[in-house]
Amino acid sequence: MLRIRNLRCYYGRIQAINGVSLSVRAGELIALIGANGAGKSTLLQAISGLLPNWQGEIQLHKESLRGLNPPAIVQRGISLVPEGRMLFPPLSVLDNLRLGAYLRYRKRQRELIDQDFETIWKLFPVLRERIKQPAGTLSGGEQQMLAIGRALMARPQLLLLDEPSMGLAPLLARRILETLVQLRDQGLTVLLVEQNARAALQVADRGYVLETGRVVLEGSAADLLADQDLKRAYLGRDYREFYDGRS
Amino acid sequence: MMAEADMGIWNRTAECLDPEERAQQQLERLQSTLNRAYRNVPFYRNRFQTRGFDPAQIESFADLPLIPFTEREHFSENYPYGLFAVPLRDIVRIHTAPGTALHPTVSGYTKQDLAVWRELVARSLSAAGVTAHDVLQIVLDPGLANWGRDYKDGAETIEAGVIPLTMLPHEKQLMIICDYKTSVLITSPSAAIQLLHLLFQTNLNPNVLALKTLVLVGEPPDPSMRAQLAEQLHVKTWVHYGLSEVPGPALAFECASRYGLHVSEDHFLPEIIDPETGQVVPDGEGGELILTSLTTRAFPLIRFRTGDRARFFTDACPCGRTLRRMEWFPERSDEMVVVRGVKLHHRQILLLLERVLGVLPETYRLLAVRQELEDYLEVWLAIDDAIFSDEIKELERLIRKIRLELGQELGVPVNVRLKERSSLGAPSSVPSIIDLRSKDSR
Repeated sequence: MLRIRNLRCYYGRIQAINGVSLSVRAGELIALIGANGAGKSTLLQAISGLLPNWQGEIQLHKESLRGLNPPAIVQRGISLVPEGRMLFPPLSVLDNLRLGAYLRYRKRQRELIDQDFETIWKLFPVLRERIKQPAGTLSGGEQQMLAIGRALMARPQLLLLDEPSMGLAPLLARRILETLVQLRDQGLTVLLVEQNARAALQVADRGYVLETGRVVLEGSAADLLADQDLKRAYLGRDYREFYDGRS
Repeated sequence: MMAEADMGIWNRTAECLDPEERAQQQLERLQSTLNRAYRNVPFYRNRFQTRGFDPAQIESFADLPLIPFTEREHFSENYPYGLFAVPLRDIVRIHTAPGTALHPTVSGYTKQDLAVWRELVARSLSAAGVTAHDVLQIVLDPGLANWGRDYKDGAETIEAGVIPLTMLPHEKQLMIICDYKTSVLITSPSAAIQLLHLLFQTNLNPNVLALKTLVLVGEPPDPSMRAQLAEQLHVKTWVHYGLSEVPGPALAFECASRYGLHVSEDHFLPEIIDPETGQVVPDGEGGELILTSLTTRAFPLIRFRTGDRARFFTDACPCGRTLRRMEWFPERSDEMVVVRGVKLHHRQILLLLERVLGVLPETYRLLAVRQELEDYLEVWLAIDDAIFSDEIKELERLIRKIRLELGQELGVPVNVRLKERSSLGAPSSVPSIIDLRSKDSR
């Protein structure tokens, strides 16, 4: 579905992404992991059109996304759940969700949109309970649900998520990730960026490991979870666990 | 088109991947392999840097010529662990194979690497119709002992009953084939011919054997020899291609169409080059096979010159696999000579002789010979001051010692003859191994 070849992105003179190729097939949940500053968020911003000056190729269904602005990319079927949620705190839960569908209101899809509200309530019943509450008063977990709900209101084929578990208690983080599995099982394609590599790989089908703007490892999630090198670097295992007298 | 079950496709997703998807997957894997090799292996980093090459320059397969080749001598130069891309504690298996110099080739495997090999061997055996109902026996010379382990693992993955590689004389192997009702035999073409010969010598009727599948490895079999084996043993024959030094067997295999060998391109990227110029040849033309590992963690190979000659087929295979096929030619594009599936290099033999004798022999001949269907290496040494002794016993002891040392290191039988210098002619200016096994003697 999504195919990226030789992507290069710059922040001013700093090259944040240096020749990355990756692909997401329809119905896959892909985890993109790596340390801070590895280029993970940059990659999502390039895909969603927020960082327009990239080189290389990004294709959705074999059509290039070059030169498209973020609304046009949303229309093609890609929605981003940004890092730090980026909700509109004074607006109610309902209005935040409505904003996610604003391109569709213009297309007079009101009935379909109402159906989608139902889907969101089913996915996150707590949001319905808080329907009139300002988004800023929700808990961290609820805010993340709302951010995902808002992205889903655009009816994406591909959902991009930037650190959805950030700042959440482990139990809540797992709930959020399990929701992604549920969405994947319903046919949504997901590209997930996470610092919490272990949690991400536990739900993903495949994964890519990014290091200083390059992919250094890719493979099935099970493979990556078992990778010793990766365990040392990102899975937060104690180094002493690996020391067994060999150099 | 044959039924799918007949084609023995082990991993449909991987083996029949849409070619466009395949290209994307290969590019992704190539780039991450290069990044890992650059980051973790000083040898590759230095080689890349001195050529001003950065892995990020690889944007398509057309850029491959930017990457320098890896050759066999680099293995000995970096003995033992210099080419490993992961810390030693991540290695779960270490293999040693004869190299081109005194130091052997050492390759390592992580747990995932072994899983890949199990998959590749399972894939190749499955294509040859091997199933859980088979009893599979492995008969290889000591020089190919590493393959014995990989074949055992792969065959166990498809749950066949495995009789692993043991160093027994052929008479005993034949007894096992008969008594244990072996249905699949994995061996080199030369060993297969010997077994056939032995079968007739002992007046055994091939019909009493349960054997139905013969997998030939180590060297491309001569077509007439292959036909003879199939006819006289009443078996179907299959050819597998692999690398003996690194990293394993069966990285290309025949399917039921038996028209070329499918390369497991999801794990190894093949190229064909002109061995003289190093340039990639147009698709379909013959040349030297170059391999780059795409998923290997412990021992990445970057544009490794195999010395084997091959050419790609350009048309699609009726079996449904989209893995590219190659024709494997018997000639080589390097100075190595294959004896019983084991690759020998004259430099290594000379270094071994030097170690035994204390000096490098001045006049000698290295020959690959065949006698009574048995292939071996023969070393002729001119008797000179360094070797001479007036005691026959002393000379016999020396012959024994050379034969033992060489046999152990090379993993093939060795015969040593001491000759008068005059009978050997001029001191050896061309040191390579002379192949005396003509085609008609096969």
